[in-house]
Amino acid sequence: MITTDFVDRDRFDRMRRIEWVDVDSIRGKRCLVVGAGALGNEVVKDMVLAGFRRIAVVDMDHIVTSNLSRCLFFRDSDVRKVRKADVVAARASELDPDAEITPVVSDIRDMEDWDFDIVLGCLDNIQARMHVNAHSYYHGIPYIDGATDGMNGRVMVIIPGGPCLQCTMNRTHVEQMERRFTCTGNGTAFVPKTASDITTTAVIAAMQVREAMKVASGRQDLCIKGVTYYNGTEGTMETLGVSIDPACMNHTE
Amino acid sequence: MAIAITVKNVYNGSTVRMEVESDETMGDIIQSAAEYWRKEASAYILKKGKTLLRSSMTVAEAGIIADDVLEMVPDPEGGSR
Repeated sequence: MITTDFVDRDRFDRMRRIEWVDVDSIRGKRCLVVGAGALGNEVVKDMVLAGFRRIAVVDMDHIVTSNLSRCLFFRDSDVRKVRKADVVAARASELDPDAEITPVVSDIRDMEDWDFDIVLGCLDNIQARMHVNAHSYYHGIPYIDGATDGMNGRVMVIIPGGPCLQCTMNRTHVEQMERRFTCTGNGTAFVPKTASDITTTAVIAAMQVREAMKVASGRQDLCIKGVTYYNGTEGTMETLGVSIDPACMNHTE
Repeated sequence: MAIAITVKNVYNGSTVRMEVESDETMGDIIQSAAEYWRKEASAYILKKGKTLLRSSMTVAEAGIIADDVLEMVPDPEGGSR
């Protein structure tokens, strides 16, 4: 017997109506979100609302005032007092009491546990992306990378066996990485600030989580094939085909 | 034999004509064009139509012919701070 409101009692009823979405599978996947800043806030929010329940969030930074225009989990009272990962984990957990969101206050380069089903990159520099790309590829974990710069953004889904982020790189990326280190004397990367706003951040984060839903639902066949570039000024989006670079170290024995 | 192509910076719409040999790589083209637009230091990718041209591909391998227009797209890097 049913009641007249039974469809409204299931938190995920509306999602279950989407043919390819497997909510139960989504809830069982172990996910790693690397970066708890602008993209990380949006990605974790969308993930929890979409049903992802087992999420680790890695970030070592404190919250600063300039984060507040793009990060819905941060408050003025958090500034310089608490770590991004701790706050995102605590406040995102309020969205779903069943969610197990684990903060990891650490440099991603120090992470040794890569026992995850999906990795989402919400980073702000090429070097960290290369690190996550290489580790995800080595461990056979799908990696969904997002990036923004002002009104522009990019999403790439890296599936083991296919082209990876490094396959798309060239010398301008290397020079960009080198520029990051020009001003450092203590081994810490100097990362100049890039332009960013919440609208572009929200678009790219939503795309990342949608791709994660496809992977988690066993529908990698639906994933972005290549790399998608978003131009928020013109309101356009284009997906470019990418092939494996035989010289890429992730694809050589 | 050298051919002349056009590289367009989709960020600012400007273009540059470039003479390239068949054994030169996409990385060479990106590098030269990036230096031409030096004041906008950024990472770029190069595309032709709906395909991202890998850095190690040669002009011949990429099937580039005279008067082709290749597009340089700034590759976003931010997202956290």
